Amino acid sequence: MTAMPETALAASAASGWSRRAGTLALPALPVVLAFALAAIVLALAGHDPVDVYGQLLTEAFGSRQRIASTLAASTPLILSGLAIAVAFRAGAFNVGVEGCIYVGGLAAAFAGFTFTGLGPALLPVALVTGIATGALWMLLPGLLRARLGVDEVVTTLMLNFIAISLTSYLVNGPLLAPGAANSATPMIADAARLPRLFSGINLNAGFAIALALVVLYWLWGRWTAIGFETRLAGLNARFARATGLDVPMLIIRMMLMSGAIGGLAGAVHALGNVHRFVAGFSPGYGFTGIAVALLGRGNALGILLAAILFGALATSGATIQLFTDVPVEIVNILQGMVMIFAVARFGLLFARRKAS
Amino acid sequence: MRLGARGLVRRFGTLTANDRVDFAARRGTVHAIVGGNGAGKSTLMRILQGVDQPDEGSVIVDGKPVAFRHPADAFARGIGMVHQEFMLVPGLSLLENLILAREPADALGRLDIPAALAAARALEHQAGVTLDWHMPVDDAPVHVRQIVEILRLLYRGADVLILDEPTAVLAPSQVRDLIGLLQRLKADGRTILFISHKLDEVMSVADDITVMRQGRVVASLAAAATSKAAIAEMMIGEIVDAPAARPASAGTAVLSVVDLVATDPRGIVKLRGVDLTVHAGEIVAVAGVAGNGQDELVAAVTGLGRRLRGSVTLAGVDIADLPPSARRARGLAYLSPDRKAEGLCIAASIADNTIAGHHRRPAFSAGGILRRGAIARHVETLLDRYSVQRAASDLPISSLSGGNQQRVAIARELDGAPKVLVSCQPTRGVDIRGIAFIHRCLLDYRDRGGAVLLVSEELDEIIALADRIVVLFEGRRTGEIRRGDGDIEAIGRMMLGERAA
Amino acid sequence: MIDNIIHSALIMTTPVLLAALGGLINRVGGLVNIGLGAMMLSGALVGFLVAADDGSWPLALAAAGLAGAVTALAMSLIVTRLGADEIIVGLGLNIVVAGLVRFFLKSHFHTSGTLGLPAVTMLPRYDLPGIADLPVLGAIFSGHDILTWMSWVLVPATVWFLARTRAGLRLRAAGAAPGPARALGLAPLAIRDISSVYAGFLSGLAGAYLAIGVVGIFNEGIVAGRGFIALAAFYFGRNRPVATAMGALLFGFFDAIQIRLQGRGVPAELVQMLPYAMVIVFLTLVAVAARRRAQKVDVHD
Repeated sequence: MTAMPETALAASAASGWSRRAGTLALPALPVVLAFALAAIVLALAGHDPVDVYGQLLTEAFGSRQRIASTLAASTPLILSGLAIAVAFRAGAFNVGVEGCIYVGGLAAAFAGFTFTGLGPALLPVALVTGIATGALWMLLPGLLRARLGVDEVVTTLMLNFIAISLTSYLVNGPLLAPGAANSATPMIADAARLPRLFSGINLNAGFAIALALVVLYWLWGRWTAIGFETRLAGLNARFARATGLDVPMLIIRMMLMSGAIGGLAGAVHALGNVHRFVAGFSPGYGFTGIAVALLGRGNALGILLAAILFGALATSGATIQLFTDVPVEIVNILQGMVMIFAVARFGLLFARRKAS
Repeated sequence: MRLGARGLVRRFGTLTANDRVDFAARRGTVHAIVGGNGAGKSTLMRILQGVDQPDEGSVIVDGKPVAFRHPADAFARGIGMVHQEFMLVPGLSLLENLILAREPADALGRLDIPAALAAARALEHQAGVTLDWHMPVDDAPVHVRQIVEILRLLYRGADVLILDEPTAVLAPSQVRDLIGLLQRLKADGRTILFISHKLDEVMSVADDITVMRQGRVVASLAAAATSKAAIAEMMIGEIVDAPAARPASAGTAVLSVVDLVATDPRGIVKLRGVDLTVHAGEIVAVAGVAGNGQDELVAAVTGLGRRLRGSVTLAGVDIADLPPSARRARGLAYLSPDRKAEGLCIAASIADNTIAGHHRRPAFSAGGILRRGAIARHVETLLDRYSVQRAASDLPISSLSGGNQQRVAIARELDGAPKVLVSCQPTRGVDIRGIAFIHRCLLDYRDRGGAVLLVSEELDEIIALADRIVVLFEGRRTGEIRRGDGDIEAIGRMMLGERAA
Repeated sequence: MIDNIIHSALIMTTPVLLAALGGLINRVGGLVNIGLGAMMLSGALVGFLVAADDGSWPLALAAAGLAGAVTALAMSLIVTRLGADEIIVGLGLNIVVAGLVRFFLKSHFHTSGTLGLPAVTMLPRYDLPGIADLPVLGAIFSGHDILTWMSWVLVPATVWFLARTRAGLRLRAAGAAPGPARALGLAPLAIRDISSVYAGFLSGLAGAYLAIGVVGIFNEGIVAGRGFIALAAFYFGRNRPVATAMGALLFGFFDAIQIRLQGRGVPAELVQMLPYAMVIVFLTLVAVAARRRAQKVDVHD
């Protein structure tokens, strides 16, 4: 018996990586275009774009400490980019990584300030709690998509808002830190904190975890049977099914995997940076992750580089706002435009011109 | 002459799809264009309706050469096309589909529904049919959709109708209705171009017949001055290097289905209790007009579709409730009729397409880790054995010709010594040399003791390969013929519902 | 009390309903508009700026609608002419417009987040004589502004437009089957762009309603996810205007009661989850029903 209606299968083939991402001649084009348009915005506001971009570059990479900040800022983006890429590979578009970061972050923080008697085991327990919560959060949309053909874009998008409201309720109510005014859990135990990688440099083990995951992602895609199967299912679900693959099950597994990585992103952010959970926990990491995955074209190295680009923007944007009057929002403008242009097929313009 | 062609040439790479094609359809006649797969009919149609442009020669309208750049140019000359996959808009009613883009409306843009309905009734009257115009197109049966397409062309002012294999989707009684409709339209002075490879229909409806083979016009003649047998001979010509069918020695039963009832993806019962057995060393072909339950039989055997009742047994094990993967693991192989969408993963590489489905074999992976070296060596061996012409195996499979793509699919499906091969339209879109190669592959597999369930719309192919032929009509068996027992005529009659004696 | 809830529920419904009806037309035309929130935000800012310093409110509405429409056109062209995925472009647009608005507030007004301006003209509200004092009916029909009336008039108008006009028919065809529509000589991409502009215009008005119809100041968070609520409403309504309006009304009602419920110990955050949870539940029920239908097959047909 087939688990999915034929239409859902066709849709899953169409919504695979290839259709979402389109084809692109120059991977750098979206970045260049976004910077060019943002330069116009800067110029209109009376700033010298060259000067601003120069400062951004210096602030992001000008010293060891600054590079460390950039890499620290890119850590959650690497993870959320991978989370989205994994689902994409199977032909599912998970817009809900932001929600996974919220629930995963809260769960990890909860473990971090609750099971304090675990000693050195606390950190791994907290990480695993975050991972499991994130995976569980994607179980429903995964099942609905695979078994009933319910569009995962809508369900995961809706789950984001549910996750944000739910965690906000929890940190304002049951999990509110005693004595705190509002919207924050207690601090996690020291044993739950991700250690720094190098003494004196503000970069914690979360970055190492993210890097390891990039390598694993590459190995998974190239060397594992399930990675191969996921790619086939994402490229052409009908073909995959005819060759004997259980496509609905693959989609469920990859949605769970995506949620797990999203939950890990939240856990790393909670245990490495914030050291508790607060309302407004993620500044849109899950959405920036979409831009990262798209710009990186689902490729391991590409995702790493794209995440570092966005991490650099985030950290340097915040810094230059302190020293100049350039609003930090220039970073959001750049991010959003990169995301948009990363899926635009500029080749169509030329194709049209040739035809007419 | 209302519509015709003079010296049309259209090349795709090294393939000449249309080679100096001439024909002339007279006003107020039905002109049939017949030919087998790959004869160049569809290319000619695309040119006639302005979708494609010829490299040489020209389309002739009302005796004068014209150049169509877009379908709109052809339509402006009164030429309209009824497509094989209908061009109706889902979610709209039949009436809305009829008037779309030519709506009767007032100055404010309000639809004038009574006027639309009146126009629809007038067309109904002309065509001698009655329709429920408020029915959503999604609920309309396929022959109704076809009539709406035809009426829409009339509504929009076309007086030349091109019909591409219009009977492929119809039941025999509906075919008779369609032919009646076409004759009434002809009597009103319209010109009809009727593309088909079904000679009975062609002989019953056409005034003139143009026969195509391998991109060329073989003959253009009046239907009254020829016979079905003569046309069939012209269509088939001499088959280049046809593999001689050898009598096979059938062994034990490998695949058997009993009382199988199955539905199409829309949930409509298409297979109504079919029994069938395929033995080792035997090719059993399923013949029938498309849509008489073949697809559902294949889907129920492979596990890709819905079965309501009946058993499917593979080598003594009931596999009817197993998922496709488990059936494959027990020795079922499946050559899809839809190469681009199901038979291959067009976006993946040649190598990936060759190994897909076999990659979990112990030789190619251990503990979930792929043995990429072993896989690469195996792929090269296999592709060489099947003479797949390729620059490199890691190129996208879309870089191969249709024939070479099909070789990859066959290489993959016959790899690992399956017990039974379900082979659907194995030579669709393959050139004549490729056809011979594929036929030889199937016969060799049979001679090695393989069991083949062959589904094909090409009667010639069935007759050349099959040891036994089972004919399906409206989801039931209408007969079975052993090699040498019957002729094309008898099969044709059974395909139209006549039961074997 | 009950009158208060009804009245404020209707007020909270208006912006969601306007944007949802625009998004519905957009979706019928073949584009799922995730960027409604961005269009609302640009409409809110522009409408607010024009209404300040004793500006004219009709002019403010026109400017807000225009701002939303321009935003929508930019998005639509990238989708239709550059083949970009509508979901990703919509998400990206939300980020860009939010960034641009905050950037503008900081650069131009040197304020972060909230902008108050002197003498902002608010949308006038009209009391209906004779009805205003009636219980319940007064709250439903009286004391509303032109946008609320317009949004409810648009519900039957949208039904009529889709079913009974040439443009409505062509819109449905372009969205459901662009290929056949093009073959018949329509321009489905242009039709899709026009439907986006309409969605942007209504969303711009919805934004202006929030800025000069409800609060009278501008805040970067003024839209508060209502673009997604509007999306939820037309998903909930499955492209049918009346059902979409019911969805919007329900969400407006949630919005209105959450503050009151909070006083009674029901956390506002949990009420805020409801619209989104309802969409998931509803889509699931629809899919289950569709599956049931597909499996109910008569063997003896």
